Amino acid sequence: MSISAAREPAASKPRVVRQIDWTQRLRRWGWQVAKYAILIFFLWVFVQPFIWIWSSALKSTQEIAADPFALPKEWHWENLANAWTLGRFDRYIGNTIIYSVIVVLGVCAIACLAGYALATPHFPGQNLIFLLFLLGLMVPFQSIMIPMYYLVRDLKILGTRWAMIIPSIALGLPFGIFLMRAFFRGLPLELADAARIDGCTEWGVFGRVMLPLAMPGLTTLAVFQFMGTWNSFAIPLILVQREELRPVALGIMFYFGRYTSDRAMIAAGVTLAVLPIILMYLLMNRQFVRGITAGAVRG
Amino acid sequence: MARFSLQKFWWTVGVRYLFLFPALLLYALFMLYPFVNSIYLSMTKWDGAFPVKEFIGLSNYSRLLQDKLLWLSLSHNLIWVVIGTVVPIFIGLFLAVLLWSQPKGMIVFRTAYFMPVVLANVIVGIIWHWIYNPIVGILNRGLEAIGLESWTRGWLGDVNLALYAVLVAAIWAYVGFVFVILLAGLQNVDLELLDAAKIDGANAWQQFWNVTIPQLAHVLTMVIALGLIGGFSVFDIVFVMTGGGPANSTELIATYTYQKAFAENEVGYGTALSLVMTVVSLVATLIFIRIRERDA
Repeated sequence: MSISAAREPAASKPRVVRQIDWTQRLRRWGWQVAKYAILIFFLWVFVQPFIWIWSSALKSTQEIAADPFALPKEWHWENLANAWTLGRFDRYIGNTIIYSVIVVLGVCAIACLAGYALATPHFPGQNLIFLLFLLGLMVPFQSIMIPMYYLVRDLKILGTRWAMIIPSIALGLPFGIFLMRAFFRGLPLELADAARIDGCTEWGVFGRVMLPLAMPGLTTLAVFQFMGTWNSFAIPLILVQREELRPVALGIMFYFGRYTSDRAMIAAGVTLAVLPIILMYLLMNRQFVRGITAGAVRG
Repeated sequence: MARFSLQKFWWTVGVRYLFLFPALLLYALFMLYPFVNSIYLSMTKWDGAFPVKEFIGLSNYSRLLQDKLLWLSLSHNLIWVVIGTVVPIFIGLFLAVLLWSQPKGMIVFRTAYFMPVVLANVIVGIIWHWIYNPIVGILNRGLEAIGLESWTRGWLGDVNLALYAVLVAAIWAYVGFVFVILLAGLQNVDLELLDAAKIDGANAWQQFWNVTIPQLAHVLTMVIALGLIGGFSVFDIVFVMTGGGPANSTELIATYTYQKAFAENEVGYGTALSLVMTVVSLVATLIFIRIRERDA
């Protein structure tokens, strides 16, 4: 907008009124067409692979080989059914839901308590503890994955769901605490004091006064953590040892290796893995965008 | 009196420690302890199974210095950081400026551009692995269809191209993220300042470069910092698409670490590698933040 609007008055100043209208109108029109052409081109770039995978999921492997761009002639719904049962996506998606729900609840509860404590007026050790958590924010999982594996092994939880759940919660804490602390600091502390004067216990102040106010922040954290856990790959790759406990991101990698040449099966598998998260994204667009960009955008 | 103040102390301070306790416990056990332990492990020679870890001091680190594969991996990470940060910023900023005035259909475009961001990197990797497939991949088939048959090749099998091919896939999945952040940043740009610049006779480019960009500085810093941290720890997408091959041409510090620690069971040396990754990404981020603060 600003680029076009800025140039026009300067360029057309000395001319007659009517002519200005024409050139201006033409220019504006041309600019609009060019703008939408570019926007639609990028729309195609980002969306086309989805359409292509989804349509391939309903074709036979021969059809895919013959013309990868054509729409399916017959709808092979059985591809999806095969991937669901033979490809064990029923199990993988079930596991992913279990992991995501427990990790999100765990991170939200623990980070909320800690974030609140770190946002309250100063007490001894507060800054040190906060710095400690900040350090964790800068350490990627890949830096501690090796000792993490041996720790989980020595705790004898390798081969159980806890091997995925507990480390995921721990790894989610630094960001969760960082976010919730910032959110609680934005709330008026006078409210807490007023509740205290009215005879509320500390637990009551937190649970009845501050927590309800923190719901928007908590929602953002929940979406952020949900995306992280639903899509996490390196953690289960190292810590989830049994096939029947794999989440979908890990399951699909082995599935991909097993059906390399069966294109219809791969497309069906990818479709099943992609659909739940895409549907959720389309339904809760605003929360998703806010949640995923929570680390980079303030407020 | 003494009892009263003790009680008060408990209610004001003790309760807060109680609130912090679960977080501290988990954090100490599952992050601080592994972190400290990795420093110890990096000074041992251990295959992961033998009951005794042989302490070898700094030998792993002197081995690091002579490890050509490590330096090759780091150079790939550097390429990844630069291209994987700069290209998404350019494309994202371009798209964000086009949608700045919130034209018709804005929500459709924004929703579509952001869509790949919600996918797991593994799935992005599988989709693009297929796109690049030399026989059934749509890239080669598309090139054939428009008469550019000489351009077709095995994209992920070409030593000179594989890294960039994987980068394109990663950028495809990341641009939407940068775009949304920059779009949000543009909404906070002071339009009165832009008008003032316009009245003072600044052309469109001057307005953009001298007025808009400085107001985006904070947001751009965030995006670059995220690119630095992410670029030195990339793992998933490369692991799935090439596994570091062909001939180590896409080997990154994270895939190399995984290879050493979990495939070749050189736990001590693998841990030393992972510490290199930690230090490099920490230092890069800190230097970057320092430079930005000095400029601002």
